[in-house]
Amino acid sequence: MIREHLHRIWGLAVKEFQQLRRNRLLLAFLILGPIIELGLMGSLAGGGIKNLRLAVVDNDRTRASRDLIAKLDRTEELRFTSHADGVAEAEHAMQDGDIDAIVIIPPGYGSTLSDVAQSAQMQVIADGSHHAVSTVAIGAAQDVAAEISRELAALHSSANQGPVELRIVARFNQYLKDRPHSITAMLAIVVFEVALVVAAQTIARERELGTLEQLRVTPLGRFELMVGKAIPTLLVGLLDFLLMLGLAAALFDIPIRGSVPLLVLLTAPFIVAQIGWGTLISLISRTQQQAMLFVFALAMVEVAFSGFLVPSADMPPAMRVISYGSSIQHYLVILRGITLRGAGIRSLWLPSVALFGISSVLVLLAWARLRVGLDAGSVRDRLAAIFSRLRDRCQRRRTRRSTRKQTAPKEWSREPA
Amino acid sequence: MSIKRLLSILTKEYRHIFREPRTLWMVFLSPAFVLIALSLIFTSGTSRVALAVWDQDHTTLSRQFIATLDSDGDFSVRRLSGYELIESSLTRHEIEAGVIIPPGFAKTVQSGRSGSIQVILDGVDTLAAGQATGSLLGHASDFGAQISKQFLVPPPPVQVQSRSAYLPKTADRDSMVSGLIPIVFSLPIIAAALALARERERGTLESLVATPVRGLEYLGGKLIAYVTASLVGLVPVWLTASVLFGVPFRGSFLVLLLLTADFLMASVGLATVIGNVVGSQQAATVLSLFIFFVPAFFLSGLLEPIDTTDIVSTIVSYAMPSTHFVSICRALFLKGATLIQLWRPAVMLVGLSAIWMALGALTFSKEAAG
Repeated sequence: MIREHLHRIWGLAVKEFQQLRRNRLLLAFLILGPIIELGLMGSLAGGGIKNLRLAVVDNDRTRASRDLIAKLDRTEELRFTSHADGVAEAEHAMQDGDIDAIVIIPPGYGSTLSDVAQSAQMQVIADGSHHAVSTVAIGAAQDVAAEISRELAALHSSANQGPVELRIVARFNQYLKDRPHSITAMLAIVVFEVALVVAAQTIARERELGTLEQLRVTPLGRFELMVGKAIPTLLVGLLDFLLMLGLAAALFDIPIRGSVPLLVLLTAPFIVAQIGWGTLISLISRTQQQAMLFVFALAMVEVAFSGFLVPSADMPPAMRVISYGSSIQHYLVILRGITLRGAGIRSLWLPSVALFGISSVLVLLAWARLRVGLDAGSVRDRLAAIFSRLRDRCQRRRTRRSTRKQTAPKEWSREPA
Repeated sequence: MSIKRLLSILTKEYRHIFREPRTLWMVFLSPAFVLIALSLIFTSGTSRVALAVWDQDHTTLSRQFIATLDSDGDFSVRRLSGYELIESSLTRHEIEAGVIIPPGFAKTVQSGRSGSIQVILDGVDTLAAGQATGSLLGHASDFGAQISKQFLVPPPPVQVQSRSAYLPKTADRDSMVSGLIPIVFSLPIIAAALALARERERGTLESLVATPVRGLEYLGGKLIAYVTASLVGLVPVWLTASVLFGVPFRGSFLVLLLLTADFLMASVGLATVIGNVVGSQQAATVLSLFIFFVPAFFLSGLLEPIDTTDIVSTIVSYAMPSTHFVSICRALFLKGATLIQLWRPAVMLVGLSAIWMALGALTFSKEAAG
């Protein structure tokens, strides 16, 4: 019995692999695409916010103010581009999009800096139309201020860094490199989209070409159909994942501090969840074009939920609850936990359980939907089918009632007897 | 080139779009729906950094400092006692930073010296780490200036006053919602790429070879159909952003319409190249995901502005239509820029549409169909 099942699943999987091998271009895209994408994106982008263009309004023009400008320029985040004569001129340049931040040094900056009893002020205006830019620019200015304070404190032992001094250390990423964070996000997104697309297009394609009808007349059950279709996707997804993980470690120095087998073990349910989504999508769309549009819409929402555009802690409460259903969010915690933070299963059990839960719910939904999907074509057809069934039932009830009316007198007549 | 034949192709394409309610919905309304879904996750306020505080000092001063962190909207503060707890919360990614106030903090400050506070950051998310650092430094410096009189400790030598221009309170949502508009428009654009690949895959292009329709007329019809159909979708997108989410729109709608058409022509041109080069819909989908999806987030300046000092990444970014449209949308919504101020991205988009449409025409050959 089980051998028969396995035999049929194996047959379908072999057919899928043969089709994949015949479509050379698709195969090349699926194997090479992810590596090229990660290599290109990783080297071109994801380096963090750097070299923001800075204009300085220097109303002090002393050695201290020039030293401040040099220090601002030396940060990775800021790059000194121009002196502006006034705040209005600088703000105009910001309006035109020529600069990202303005630093205003008030007159008397140098003299207050050497006066221990007073704080010297510097003002920062950042382009808020890009939120992250303004955060980074203001943060860099704060860093420079702290650096100047530290230098002064070291220079004159009498002087002070102010009453409160922060000693900051960064864990897991000592030099605060941007790449580990962005590369892991890209890796998860690419695995996600490849698995989703392949899963969504296989059944949608069979349906568009009409070969799904042919599969129906074979002895394949829906469970076998799903598993047979899922095996190639899972294998392609895992292969892509391993290739990209190797590339990330070799090319971008992403540390892998935790256990790789555990990572692979937890990547599998992530891919299975996308197979569930893909199967669901392909069952509600009639053409590949529709399936693809659903894939894109879902991918955008999932990426937004991934905590990569906005940390999930910042979402409104209702959205945070919905975001727990996003598999990529849990997967990123696992991926970054194992590679960057060196976490083990004991600190990752919660996202792991969530990931297994999501993937089994999605697979069950797809399995339940598969029967309906195979029978009826579109929502309209299905609604029409349900409607006609309801109408039939009503009619049957009506006829039953009328026949009961006819038979009723007989029953009564039978009673006295 | 005959207008009549072009129009007949156009009618055929419109019929394809209108025939299926689902395709129609996808082309006209899906950008607005996706924008709603994306925008709902952005809170209107500033983002908060999850912080754990371990107060080993237990004095009025240390409590005062924690209170300033707590009262300000920058942090969501929780209490944790012990290095073990803080480190494990960092590993589980439950907090972004741990602040440890050592015993004797208040005593040091009262004796006229700097009291030091230890901060352990999660360095993985550098943007969040930078935000936490900047914010904590600012609070420490402000708090220091405030208490310096009381304890006869000199104030911090340098203080930073900061503000973000164009946004009353640095609202994450306004800048993201306006920047996401190019991304949601990739839906109808990719539909165009698949429409082309489909004709090839199903062999209907072969039947078109038998008609007098020429290649350019065929391509022009497809292009116009998908550009105009997506342009109609701009209205629900604009309504979503400005009415539903209250993102200020300070520019002119006509300029937005004009530049969206510009952007759509460049992108549909790029989609045409994809549809021409790739013969199957599956391969076209995978390729458009690689070209339109990940780069649209990372290379377009949506998340991090383009580093103009890196020449290669600047060239690649500028070759993508969405890069220019991100800056156009942000400038129109938040800065109220005029068409003249936007001449640079606008001209770049015109150039890109010319290049991509020319490449689309070059890669297309009716005879090689099927």
